Amino acid sequence: MGYTGFVIANLLRNPLRSALTGSAIALAVLLVCLLLTMPAGLDALLTSVASDTRVGVINKSGLVFWMPYSLMRKIRALDDVADAVGMVWFGGAFEEQGKVTFPSFAVEVEHIPSTYPDYKLAPEAVAAFARYRDGVIVGRQTMRKYGWKVGDRVTLRSNVWNVNLDLRIVGEIPRDSSPIVWINREYLDEAIKAQGRPGLGIVMIIWVRVPSPDRVNSVMLRIDELTRNTDYETTSQTEKTFFSNFLGSLQGFLQILLMVTALVSLCIVFIAANTASMAVRERAGEIGVLRAIGFRRRVIFSMLLAETVVLSWSAGAVGVGLAWVVTTSLKRLGGSIAALGPLGGFSVTPGVIIQGLVLSLAIGIFAGFAPAYGAARRPVADTLREVF
Amino acid sequence: MSVESAPGTPPLILLHRVSRLYRRGVDEIHALEACSLRVERGRFVAFMGPSGSGKSTLLNLVSGIDRPTSGEVWVAGQELNQLTEDELARWRARHVGLIFQFFNLVPVLSARDNVALPLLLTRFSRSERQRRAEIALRVVGLEHRLQYLPRILSGGEQQRVAIARALVSDPDLIVADEPTGDLDARNAEGVLGLLRQLSAEFGKTIVMVTHDPRALRFVDEVFHLDKGVLLEGEEAERAGAAMRVAAGGGLMGEAPPARSPGRAITPRA
Repeated sequence: MGYTGFVIANLLRNPLRSALTGSAIALAVLLVCLLLTMPAGLDALLTSVASDTRVGVINKSGLVFWMPYSLMRKIRALDDVADAVGMVWFGGAFEEQGKVTFPSFAVEVEHIPSTYPDYKLAPEAVAAFARYRDGVIVGRQTMRKYGWKVGDRVTLRSNVWNVNLDLRIVGEIPRDSSPIVWINREYLDEAIKAQGRPGLGIVMIIWVRVPSPDRVNSVMLRIDELTRNTDYETTSQTEKTFFSNFLGSLQGFLQILLMVTALVSLCIVFIAANTASMAVRERAGEIGVLRAIGFRRRVIFSMLLAETVVLSWSAGAVGVGLAWVVTTSLKRLGGSIAALGPLGGFSVTPGVIIQGLVLSLAIGIFAGFAPAYGAARRPVADTLREVF
Repeated sequence: MSVESAPGTPPLILLHRVSRLYRRGVDEIHALEACSLRVERGRFVAFMGPSGSGKSTLLNLVSGIDRPTSGEVWVAGQELNQLTEDELARWRARHVGLIFQFFNLVPVLSARDNVALPLLLTRFSRSERQRRAEIALRVVGLEHRLQYLPRILSGGEQQRVAIARALVSDPDLIVADEPTGDLDARNAEGVLGLLRQLSAEFGKTIVMVTHDPRALRFVDEVFHLDKGVLLEGEEAERAGAAMRVAAGGGLMGEAPPARSPGRAITPRA
């Protein structure tokens, strides 16, 4: 038996206590790791769905305020604008499934392919979207969520425009995380007019594709300049910034969660320190004997600290492993359970593994330091006199 | 009383006017006052006296576990007062084997691993540590209990493991604090006999604190203490006689084997 064996033997002297302390640490590390995967996961999600050559234009007053449809023509006429598509929030609800809603927009069909070349829509889907006025293109996540397939007919009710639209699914947005539904703007326009109301005549968000990233700023400035001093002044952002702002509140929420988890970890440090103190107190006689037979203070300190560090680090490794299992399972389930949304995209990266292991190491060091230091510093004669 | 020394060899233990004072709040407790003594190499000596007489304090000073408030403690040619805490620990590991009343074995380690513990502080390989631990266990008659955990061993066997642990690093001095205090009569005799054997056959110097009058039959010398003072002359004789009576010798007509009473040395001026 060497020092390692001695440390392990001491750890196993009270298996239940070690297991309970280890479980608390593993749980804390699991929570922290899961939370740490989220910002990176959201960033990855953003990178995968958002382009830096597409610009979103909305009314400066907010997303729910409109802009005149005539603005589309002016924007398309600007230099460095490859194409642009105007969208109107449809607010579709799928009544067969308990009135669930998803992000659905009425779009200018003919401008979709050139504004979203990166979506790599199937040519037959694009052709069918143009051919059928009741055609609809649906994001893969929503397709999977409701078990829809191309050729299915669905009825969506718009609570915004107070119309029911019978729609024919003509294609899919081939992105696992896309919940979006695009319907034909003209079809919605006709449905509204059929009710004796004026047609759409407005857009709520305009997506503009710019040929290269270095021209994006100039295009954004010129678009906002176009609408200056009108009653529909605009604000333009790249798609990445747009979604990033949209997710901003979620990031803030994650920060709060991380702070709470940090506090939980601190509590775990105190619990583990208390456990280590109890263990050291119970073994005061043994430690005194070890000191008496020649174990130096630093050796005693190192052995006692090693016990908490080994326990904490092992528990941390279990926590990291569990986090990996959870995220991997979510990723697998994400393909079939669309309700998981972005959760299915989170993964335990090497960075998260390192942070989890460092955290568990820190818990072990902070928890074990004071009891180990106290036991090592205590005069051996005092310990022996008190214990025996 | 004059300083007694074997010709040519320095004593293993030499104490000169050693005092130990404890402070408890405003109170001062004189655990030991101006004690001077010497113990030659290879002797088996006992410190005896009533509770609170300073026996354990004296033992702690001799084994380098505690430091005197004043005076000099020389053991194996080293003045212990000069050593730092870590140097003392290193010195103890090399020169002293310790035996305690309650055995104090590590409950999660086998008999062999318990005995090998002091060797962790050496540079011996793992196999060498095991080999030496097995030899030490053979010396105390427990070679058939190598893998046993302490809780499976009897009290006498546990104390034998503790003796093997004290012996394994081949120290100059073995220090035993009430080694028979937690044992029944038969096991106590066995342990005392074993210590006697270690002294006689292996030349180990053994210093033991005990209340056990049976020890008189096994030791070479007895030092009597009372109220922190090492007794001398008639006082020491009287204490020895009382101890022999307690051992049954005086009353039962069969005196324990006569061995010499330990003698304090006259302090230098």
